[in-house]
This record gives sequence, structure tokens and C-alpha cells, in this order.
Amino acid sequence: MSKGEIIAGFLAPHPPHLVYGENPEQNEAKSQGGWEQLRWAYERARASLEELKPDVLLVHSPHWITQQGHHFLGVEHLSGKSVDPIFPNLFRYNFELKVDVELAEACCAIGAEMGLTTKMMLNPNFRVDYGTITTLHMIRPQWDIPVVGISANNSPYYLTTEEGLEEMDILGKATRKAIEDSGRRAVLLASNTLCHYHFSEEPVPPEDMAQEHPQNYEGYLWDMRMIELLRQGKTGEVFELLPQFINEAFAEVKSGAFTWMFSAMQYPELAGELHGYGTVIGTGNAVMEWNLIKAGLAQAA
Amino acid sequence: MTVVSAFLIPGSPLPFVQRDNPPWGKIADALDTAGKALTASQPDTIIVYSTQWIAVLDQLWQTKPHLKDIHVDENWHEYGDLPFDIKIDTDLAEAAVVATNEAGIKSKGVNYDKFPIDTGTIIAANFLNPENKLPLVITANNVYHDWQMTEQLGRIAVAEAEKLHRKVAIVGVGGMSGSIYRQVINIADDKIASDEEDKWNRKILSLMEKGDVKTLLNECPKYASEAKVDMGFKHFAFILGAMGGDFSSATVHGYGPLYGSGAAVLEFQLG
Repeated sequence: MSKGEIIAGFLAPHPPHLVYGENPEQNEAKSQGGWEQLRWAYERARASLEELKPDVLLVHSPHWITQQGHHFLGVEHLSGKSVDPIFPNLFRYNFELKVDVELAEACCAIGAEMGLTTKMMLNPNFRVDYGTITTLHMIRPQWDIPVVGISANNSPYYLTTEEGLEEMDILGKATRKAIEDSGRRAVLLASNTLCHYHFSEEPVPPEDMAQEHPQNYEGYLWDMRMIELLRQGKTGEVFELLPQFINEAFAEVKSGAFTWMFSAMQYPELAGELHGYGTVIGTGNAVMEWNLIKAGLAQAA
Repeated sequence: MTVVSAFLIPGSPLPFVQRDNPPWGKIADALDTAGKALTASQPDTIIVYSTQWIAVLDQLWQTKPHLKDIHVDENWHEYGDLPFDIKIDTDLAEAAVVATNEAGIKSKGVNYDKFPIDTGTIIAANFLNPENKLPLVITANNVYHDWQMTEQLGRIAVAEAEKLHRKVAIVGVGGMSGSIYRQVINIADDKIASDEEDKWNRKILSLMEKGDVKTLLNECPKYASEAKVDMGFKHFAFILGAMGGDFSSATVHGYGPLYGSGAAVLEFQLG
């Protein structure tokens, strides 16, 4: 078996509004569109993913919150209807996904070897969180690539931000080792919004884009600063600023996916490709790609 | 009297799914006792506020008449399923939506198939209303609502119950101290993870037993902060608001650890 590789990482936020705006048949709620810039950003990301031809997608979602350890979906087939508890009017999505259980078990085992508390989720009645489903739908609506779903342990909130993100760094290293051992060609999905300040009321209709804009100007400026650094490949500087960004922009990257992904990719000083930026109920969302094949850091299929 | 009984209970699934573990079994026994007391108080409806039903945009009230499904806890999935079968007092829930909006707290009802019912609400329903004889009103914990607004929600819910001539039991679902074991433990050896938090819990429970509301109100902010109390102890704010801001004493049916966090089952004596 050849050595596995991480071939790309995507910052792939999960506002359910994007699924609602697209009107896929799986979602009961129907719209007149909306959030086009972000949906078009995902179209570009989808095209790139198609070229990458990964064996597996790994997604770390802040809406599967766990207190005792880092959990991994461990049931081969999971299906059901996912209703967003915050936006049930927008997201009632019938999903069906295939899990790469072998890789999930390897991530779980190696994470434990590296000192993390880890656990496999083996209950077939488990309801997959809407963050995982939204990110996976937006990046690959065909649902034809096996996935590894990873929970967001609440360590950045329960401990200090820095202590929590240290755990996510270890989780990333464990993920990389598991992928290398597996022989898989893997794409990582960090399901995170940037600035997370949001409006407290929905417009009517929710897709009224005349009402959509950043909720917080300072948060917007932070988003632009971080995106510009990421576009320049100044990864080290981004991670130096990350705790301050999290604190001042209430950034959702605190939940760990962003750190997990970059740790797994070994924090490359590689210019990220911005597919698009937009706000959703005032929060800042960027769809970005770090293509390790184009950068010569991984091999094409 | 509109409020005929009031209870504070933990929302963790552990006493329900593993009551043969002695530390958790004591909490389960206490919940059974609370359930019998609730039944004896003969309410028409149970009003439930659970810290685990998180809302962000509005104050949410469940308005689907019948909720029947299986839930799997996000963290404790290895212990199995949490079945539930819950009837909703939709008249009272709808009235609460209208009244809270009129009070300036933006609210709405939710009536969707497969809407995720939180573990805390399910635990309350399964222990306190096991045969599903009584309808419930279920409302969410909006994370942006403070203590005063949460008290107000409790007051409004009871005021609407009074208008509809309902006798109600009040149930606040949430934990006490919040430090947990982050690693796997021998569950038979479970204990409160922090001695300081244990002291805090016992102090608060003692004040509740005495019905010393004035001191409780002074101490709760410090308690919430220093003992990492679940959601700032807002579940008690809801109960207190529903009881009109006062109670004479409380009975602690059980107190103990749930994976290091503090859990208590309390019954409040009214008036």
C-alpha cells in the first residue's frame, strides 16, 4: 500500500442558509435563492474537488460538541432528516452518507496514542449534526465520497483558547498520521465561520439580500486582515494572531476545525485560494482552498 | 394557586441510561421521587425550561402537538437511545409565544417533524412524566438572555397558565457545578470533580433548603462564575420567576456527581 496523503484542505463554513438558497431536493424548505456569492464560491470549490479526486473527505464540525474527548463517526451508513435547531425554517435536510470507518478508527486510535481522549460513535440511530451535513453538501452534493466526521471537543471553551487549540493541533497530527498509514488521498474540511457576530432577528423573507451585510465592522476588518494573510501564505502570522482574532471577532475558528486542518497539513506557508467571501445573518464566511498538489506538496492521482 | 409544584433537576442522560451505577443510581432514585411528588401535586401541565435546548435568535416554544422519536446524546451515545413520547399543551405554548412577544421578548413557536428535542427535556419527561399522562410546555434557553429576562419568561408562562385556568408544575432542567472529568473514569468512583465547587453546591442547596431567597440572589452570580454552573444557573432563574420570586423552603431529593459535574434534584415548597 502506498503512503496516504492529504491533498487539500478547505475552509468550508456551514451556514444552513447556503443549502436553503440552493434549493436541493433533499431540503424541505424552499427559497428564492440568496447568498449567491458564497454559493458561487462553493461552486468553484466543488470544481476543484472534482479534479482532486479524493478517496475520503474529513470534516470537523463545531455543531457536534463533545465534552469527553474527540469523537469520530463510526457507523458505515448513516441516514435521516437533519433539522437545524436554530434555523428549522430553513434547514430540514434528508441525508444519507457513507463513513470511512477504517480511517475513522485509525484517527481515533492514533489520537489516543498521542494522549487525547478519543471515542468512536457506534450508535446507528445517531443524528449527524447540521454543520457536518451542510459543509458536506456544499462541497460535494453528490454524496459519493466516504467521509470521516469528527466532533468538536469543547476544550477551547472549557479550558483556555490556547490550551484547547493545542488539543486540536494534536488531533491534526493524529489525523495526518492516520491518513498516511491508510494509503488514502484525503481532503480536509474545516467547517468554520470567521467573525461570528450575528443579527438577532431574521429578515422576512430570510433570503432578502437587501438586509445582508456584516453585523460588526471591526469583525469584518478582522476577517479581511486574516484572509489577506492567508492569501499571502503567511500561515505563521495567522496563527500568532489567532487568539486575538478569536477574542475580538468572536470567531468560530475557536472551536478548533481551522487549527486541526492546518496542523494536519503541517502549517504550510502556502497561499490559500479564496473562492469567495460573504456574510450570512451578519457572520463572516470565507470559502478557501489550500491545494497541496498544485503546491507540489502532494502527488496528483 | 396556578403553580402547584416546582423542581430543579439535572439534564444529563447518565442517571437514565446507567442507573445501575451507584453514584448515578442515587440521582435516578431522586428523580423517581420527584416524579411521584409532581404527580401528587396534580398539575394539568408541566412547564419545562431546559438549558440544553439552545436558542440564539428568538425565544422558542415547542408547538408540535405530539413528539415521539428516539434521540441519541451527542456525547453519551455509547449508552444507547433516549426514546421519548411527549404531548404538548399547545394552547398554553401558543399563548406564551404571544405574551412573550407582547412583553418585548421576540418569540416564536416551532412545529417541525424531526426537530431535535434536547436530552435535558427528554430526561425530564421520562423521569417526571413516564407514562406521558400530562402535556408539557417546553421552552428554550436563549444564550443571549440574562437572569432577569429568564425570570421574566417564567413569570409570563405562569401568568398565561393562570389565564387558561391551568394548574402547572415547573421544571428547570440543568446542572449545578460544571467541572467535569475530561478523561475516561471508572464510573463507579464518580465524584464532584472540584472540592471547591462541591462546597459551593452544598452552600447553595442549604440556602434553598432554608428558603433564603435574598441571600441566594446575592450569591448566585458568584456561584455561577466560581463553580462554572451550567448556563449561569438560568434554569433556577426560570423556576424562581415562575414561583413569583419566592419560595418557603426546598427539599433536596438527591445530590451527587455526574462525570464530575454537580447534579441536584430539588423540590421547592411554595409560598
